[in-house]
Amino acid sequence: MSLLDIKRLTLDIGPIPILHGIDLSVDAGEVLGIIGESGSGKSMTALSIMSLLPPESRTGGSITLEGVDLLTRTEKQMCAIRGKDIGMVFQEPMTALDPLKTIGAQVAETISTHTRISRREALSEADHALERAGLPRDLYPRDRFPHELSGGQRQRVVIASAIALRPKLLIADEPTTALDVTTQARILELLRRLVDEDGMGLIFITHDLAVVARLGDKVAVMRQGEIVESGPTGEIFRALSHPYTRQLFAASSHVPARDPALPGGTPVLIVDGLVRDYRLPARRLFAAPGAFRAVDRVSFRIERGENVGLVGESGSGKSTLARAIMALEAIQSGSIAIDGTPLDGRSLSTRRKLQVVFQDPYGSFDPRQRVDTLVTEPFHLLGAEAPRGAERQQRIATALTNVGLEPADAEKYIHEFSGGQRQRIAIARALIIEPSLIILDEAVSALDVSIRAQILDLLADLSDRLNLSYLFISHDLSVVRSITDRVLVMKNGKIVESGNTAEIFANPQHPYTQELIAATPNLERALASRA
Amino acid sequence: MASSGIAAINLPRGTWLRAALRSPSFLAGTFITLIFVALAIISFVWTPYSYAVQDIPNKLHGLSADHWFGTDQYGRDVFSMILVGARTSIAVSLIAVGVGIGIGVPLGLTAAAQRGNLFDELIMRANDLVFAFPALLIAILITAVFGPSATNAMIAIGIFNIPVFARLTRAAALSLWTRDFILAARVAGKGAARISVEHILPNILNTLVVQITIQFSLGILAEAALAYVGLGAQPPTPSWGKMLADSQTLISLAPHLALIPGFCIVFTVLGLNLMGDGLRDIFDPRLQRSRR
Amino acid sequence: MSTYIAGRVASVLLSLLVASVVIFLIMEVLPGDPAQFILGMNARPDTLAALRTQLGLDAPPVMRYFGWMLGMLHGDFGISYTYRVPVAELIGQRIGVSLPLAIYALTLTLIVAFPAGLLAAARRNTISDATIMGVTQLGVAVPNFWFAIVLVYVFAVTLHWFSAGGFPGWDKGFWLGMRGLTLPAIALALPQASILARVMRSALLDTLDEDYIRTARAHGLTRAQTLWRHAVRNALIPVLTIVGLQFAFLLAGGIIIENVFFLPGLGRLIFQAIGQRDLIVVKSVIMLLVFAVIFVNFLVDLSYIAVDPRLRRR
Repeated sequence: MSLLDIKRLTLDIGPIPILHGIDLSVDAGEVLGIIGESGSGKSMTALSIMSLLPPESRTGGSITLEGVDLLTRTEKQMCAIRGKDIGMVFQEPMTALDPLKTIGAQVAETISTHTRISRREALSEADHALERAGLPRDLYPRDRFPHELSGGQRQRVVIASAIALRPKLLIADEPTTALDVTTQARILELLRRLVDEDGMGLIFITHDLAVVARLGDKVAVMRQGEIVESGPTGEIFRALSHPYTRQLFAASSHVPARDPALPGGTPVLIVDGLVRDYRLPARRLFAAPGAFRAVDRVSFRIERGENVGLVGESGSGKSTLARAIMALEAIQSGSIAIDGTPLDGRSLSTRRKLQVVFQDPYGSFDPRQRVDTLVTEPFHLLGAEAPRGAERQQRIATALTNVGLEPADAEKYIHEFSGGQRQRIAIARALIIEPSLIILDEAVSALDVSIRAQILDLLADLSDRLNLSYLFISHDLSVVRSITDRVLVMKNGKIVESGNTAEIFANPQHPYTQELIAATPNLERALASRA
Repeated sequence: MASSGIAAINLPRGTWLRAALRSPSFLAGTFITLIFVALAIISFVWTPYSYAVQDIPNKLHGLSADHWFGTDQYGRDVFSMILVGARTSIAVSLIAVGVGIGIGVPLGLTAAAQRGNLFDELIMRANDLVFAFPALLIAILITAVFGPSATNAMIAIGIFNIPVFARLTRAAALSLWTRDFILAARVAGKGAARISVEHILPNILNTLVVQITIQFSLGILAEAALAYVGLGAQPPTPSWGKMLADSQTLISLAPHLALIPGFCIVFTVLGLNLMGDGLRDIFDPRLQRSRR
Repeated sequence: MSTYIAGRVASVLLSLLVASVVIFLIMEVLPGDPAQFILGMNARPDTLAALRTQLGLDAPPVMRYFGWMLGMLHGDFGISYTYRVPVAELIGQRIGVSLPLAIYALTLTLIVAFPAGLLAAARRNTISDATIMGVTQLGVAVPNFWFAIVLVYVFAVTLHWFSAGGFPGWDKGFWLGMRGLTLPAIALALPQASILARVMRSALLDTLDEDYIRTARAHGLTRAQTLWRHAVRNALIPVLTIVGLQFAFLLAGGIIIENVFFLPGLGRLIFQAIGQRDLIVVKSVIMLLVFAVIFVNFLVDLSYIAVDPRLRRR
C-alpha cells in the first residue's frame, strides 16, 4: 500500500466535468511530478486531495492516505488532517501570507491549530521550522512581516508552515513558477532535502518538463482531466511512448528553424550610454529623496534581421530599458537611435519603426474593440499617411495572414480567441506598420509549451521573410537560446555580459551568467544526470 | 460607498441582457425606479387637482376616492403634491449627479493620466477637502449667503458629488493605466487625452453607471433632508421633504401626511439601490468568471 | 512611521487652512457687504456704520481673515450679532448636546453593524445573510429625519416611553440626559449602521477570497477560524475608512435630527443663526464642524498604523 492512493477520481464543478478518473499513487520519501498544460486539471487534483475545492464541486472515486479515504471525511475531520498530515504550498508567494501577521505567527498557526502547546512553545517550534526552510533566526527573526521579505523568502515561510508538523504528504502547486531561476533552483533543492530528511511524500505540480525531470522520482502527464501516462521519470522520458508526452517533450526543447543573421549589417537600433533614474521617497522626514538607477549606462546595437536576447531576473532593469526604448519612460542621459534617426518621444515619425508585443495575451487588448480596430491602432503613428478604405482592409488582411489567421477574423472581438491566437493578433498589430524592430517583452512566457513552440516558429519565419529585427526580452534562458543570434545579460541595471548566443551558453564568462545558466532547468542535463 | 472591486472588464455583447434578466434585484429596482420616473413625467401633463390650490373646508381628509392620498392641513390634494414632489426630487438629484459627472469624471481622468504629479496631488487634496464638508454643510454655506432654493440645493448636492466621481474615476482609470493594452496604445503614439477618451472611459463606464444609481439615490435623500429643514425647494413648489416637515406637528391627527411622502422616499431610494446592486452583480468580473 | 504621521499632520493643517479660506470667502467676501447682508436692505446708515465697526469691516479682507484665525486659535470666535454674547460661549453650551449625540449614535452604529456584518459574511448565502441584507437594504433607504418622526409617533405619542422632544440638560442627571438623546441617536444610527454592516460584509467577503485565506485553510483552520484570525483584521482597513466618513455624516445628520427633536444643539443654533442672518455664528459653527470631520479622519489615519504593519516602518 502506498502513502497516498488516488483511484478513479472524478470531479465535476457545477455541470462541468473537470477530472475523468484519475489514478495516482505516492510513496513515503518519493517525489511525484504532475505535469500538464493549463486546464489539464493538475491543480484541481491537488485541491481534491486537500478537500479545498470551490463550491458546487462533486467528487467520485477514492483518495486514501494511509488507508483512510479522504473523500468520505467530514469537513471537521479534514481540518484535523490539513496542515498536520498533508501540507500544501501554492504558486503565488506574494499573496499567500497574511500581510498583517508576523511570519513566526503564521508558521506557529499550523502548530497551535493541531497541538495543545503554549503560544511560546509554538513560536519556538516555528523558529525551528523556519530554520529548516532556510530562514535562520539570526538573519530572519520571526517578528518580520511578509512585506519585508522577497518572493523567494516568502515561499520559504509558506514551506516552513507546511512542513512544521512533519506531514506525511506535501503538495506543491507550481511553487517556483513566480520566482526567478536562481531562486527556483534553491527552492527545488530545499524541497528535495526536506523530502529526504522527513521521508515525506511530495506531489510536485508544474508545467515545466525540465523541473520534473530534475526533481521527480515518478511523473504523471495530465491532459484535459486525464492522466495520459505515468511511471518512473527515467522510463517515461526515455520511452516517450504516448504521443502527447512526445509532443510535450518536443515542444519543450523546440528550436525553430531560422537563418542566423550575419554580423556586420546596417544597425537598426543604437543605444548609447542610456541612464534611467527613479526618485525614491525620502526615508526619513526632511531627508533628501533618494534615487534609484534602474538602467545604468547601457549601450548596445541591433542590426537588420538580427535577433537579440535580453535576459535578467526581476529587478534587473530589463523592462525599464525596454520601456525607455519604446519612449514610454523619460531618460536621464544617453541616446537611442532607430534606423539612424534619434528617437524623439514626441515625434510620431521616429517611433513608427518600432513596435512591441507584450506578455499577457489577455491584457494586451481593449476588450471593447474589434480586431480590425485593435490591429490598426499603430496607424496612429503614420498620421495623415495612414492608409484608408480598401488599402486599410488590404493591410489588415496581410497582417492577419502573415500571422496565420484569416482576414475574416478582423470582424471578431478579442474574447473569441484563445491565448495563442491573441498573441498572433498582437504580432499582427506590431507588423501592420512594417517596423524595423519589434520588442518582444516576455512575449511567449505566458503560453503553454506547445503554443509557445508555434509562436516561436512564427516569429522565426517572420524575421527571415520580412528581414525584421527583434529585441527578445525574457527571463527564460532556454527560449532565448533557441531564437536569438546574440544575447545581453543584465543585472542591477548594467549589461554584465554580451555576445554570440551559442558562445555565451557554451562558455559563460561573467559569474552571474554562469549562475543563471546553471540554475536554468535543462531537460537534457536533468535526464543525463538521471541515467 | 467603498467600491473596491472595479468592474473594468466588459461582458461580450448580448450576455449583458441575459445576465440582467436573471438578476432579481436589478429587475425589481428598475421596476420601482421606472414607476417614480413615470409619476414625475405624468405630473407635467396631469394631476388630479392643482397642487397649489388650497381648500380649507376639506382639510385633513383621510384616504378616499376623491383624494387618493387624502388632503393636508390646507386642504391640498396629497396625491397631486406627491406627483409634483417626485418631479422635484428627481430633477434636483439628476442635475446634481450631472454636475458631479460633468466635472468629477474629467478631473478623475486627468488626474489618472497625470498620475503622481502635482496636478494629480492637487485634485486629490481638493477632493479630501470637499469630503470634509458634507453636502448639508455645503448647502448651509450656500443658503446662508444666497438664500434657500431648489437651485442652491442642486448646486450643494452637485458639489458634493464631484469628488465622489473624481475619486472613483481616478481609481478605476489608474488600474487601467497599468494594463498592457494601454501601453500598446501609448506605443502607437497616442496621447494621454486620446487614450483617456478612446480606451479608459469606455472601460470604466460600467463602474460609473453603478455609482450613478448610488449617487442618484443619495441625491434623493439629500434633497429631502434639505427641503425638510427649509433649505430646498420653496413653497408653493411641493417637495417630499417639505411635506414631511409640514406634517410633523400633525402626526397624531393625520399620520398619513407623514407616512406617505416618507414611503415615497424610501421606495425611490430602495429602487435605485436595488438597481445599483443588480448592475454591480451583472458587471462584476468575478461573478462572470464563476458563471462561465 | 514618522514620515507617515508627519504627512498626515501636514495634510490636516493644509486642509484646515484651505477650509477656513473657503468659508471666509463665501461668508464674508461673496455677499459684498456683510453688514448690509445682516441688517437687510432697509437698514439705517448709522446702524450699518456701527455694525461695520463692530465687525471690524473697515479692515481689508486679508487682515480680517487673519484676525478671525488668530482669534479662533485663542478660543475667541467673535461676538454673536443677535445673541450679543461670545460665540464661543454659545458653542460651548450647544456642543454638550451635539457631540454626545454623535458619539452615542456612532456607538449604536458600531454595536449593531459589526455583529450584523460578521454574521452575514460568516453565513454567506443563508437565511440569516439574506435577512440582514434585506433589512440593511431598507435601512439605507430610510431618511433619518423621517425615521425620527416615525419613532416619535410610536414611542412618544403612542407609547409615551420617551418625550417627543426637548432636552432636560445634563444637570438633571446623566441617565435622564441619555434618555433624551436615545430616540435621536437611534434615528441617526439606523441608516449608518445599515451602510456599515453592508460595508463590513463585503470587506470580509473580499478578504475571504484572498490567497492567504486558502493558505490558512491548508494549515487546518476551519472557515470560522480563518474569519476570526485573518479576515476580520484585514477587513478592518476599509471599514475604518467608512467609519471615519460616517462620523462626518453623523455630525451633519445631527443638525437635522436636532430640529426634529427640538434639541438645543449646534444644529438648532445654526438654523436660528441662518434665520437671523447671524453670519458670525454660522461661520464659526461650520468651521468647528469641518475641524471635527478633519480631525476624526486624522484619527482614522493614525489607527491604520495599529492595524497595518506596512505603515510602521515608513
